[in-house]
Amino acid sequence: MEELSWHIMDIARNSLEAGATYLKIVVDEHTADNQLRFMVQDNGPGMPDYVQKRLLDPFFTTKTGKKVGLGLPLLQAAVERCGGSLEIWSRPGTGTRVTAVFPYFCWDRPPLGDIPRTLTGLLAGQESLHLYYRQTYDGREFIFDTAEVRAYLQGLPLVTPGVLVWLNQYLGEGINSLYGGGRNEIARRAG
Amino acid sequence: MKSLAELDKLREEIQREMALREKKEGIKVVVSMGTCGIAAGARDVIAVLLEEISRRNLQDVVLTQTGCAGLCHCEPLVQVEGPGGEKVTYGHVDEQKAREIVAAHLVNGQVIKEWTVKEEGERV
Ligand code: FES
Repeated sequence: MEELSWHIMDIARNSLEAGATYLKIVVDEHTADNQLRFMVQDNGPGMPDYVQKRLLDPFFTTKTGKKVGLGLPLLQAAVERCGGSLEIWSRPGTGTRVTAVFPYFCWDRPPLGDIPRTLTGLLAGQESLHLYYRQTYDGREFIFDTAEVRAYLQGLPLVTPGVLVWLNQYLGEGINSLYGGGRNEIARRAG
Repeated sequence: MKSLAELDKLREEIQREMALREKKEGIKVVVSMGTCGIAAGARDVIAVLLEEISRRNLQDVVLTQTGCAGLCHCEPLVQVEGPGGEKVTYGHVDEQKAREIVAAHLVNGQVIKEWTVKEEGERV
């Protein structure tokens, strides 16, 4: 996967497929500690032990008709290339939490990528999803919570395309300001 | 910089437009977001579809997503379901194709045959 935000999206999609209605996504960038950490947590059904044991097996899947397993083996490979770590915590009835840690300065580390598109993409068509996002960069913090957005929308669906397009820009500006306004990594491929 | 308070204005604008337009029979657009869909660029396809649907004010179009469609080698996949339930699946969709699918299929009702795939995954 080209971007860490694709991995985030993939993990979050698995949560939604499993029936989660709440997603908490956190990205912490600490350049002084040479660390980038992200976490995706859900309130889904959680996974029984036998599934957890085989999560990193690329050919294991609980879904019929699907040709490859979860994207987690891909994330595991990305983490290993950089000497980072991956932790998966899950409890049936409580939810699942995936945490990945990468060295911030590592040639092999995929860029964080386009977080706004990842978040609005996850929200597309998911009117009942409560999404909480927090990102920090060297102590500065940006928080996005769909509960707050919905309060402003007063019943207009958040998934209205015009709303999601606006939110995409809002997220872009908010995240960009974490980096002092000038950001290189978010640069989008042309097209 | 934008603030969430501006959503008040946006909401009023959208609601005003919605009141003016008569609701037609809906079209459903479904993007598959399994692991290979994402790895093939499905996220940016969603972003472009949202932009185009919003820019053209297509209020009768509903965009949703689904999991794996079992057609890895054709991802990103976009399925368009017309009001009568007829379904067309486009394969290998990128940002440019997504824009054209909106213009041709969603706005003018014209299927772009060359880009469609059969359920088995072959090009038609
Ligand atoms: S994720 Fe590839 S066929 Fe489903």
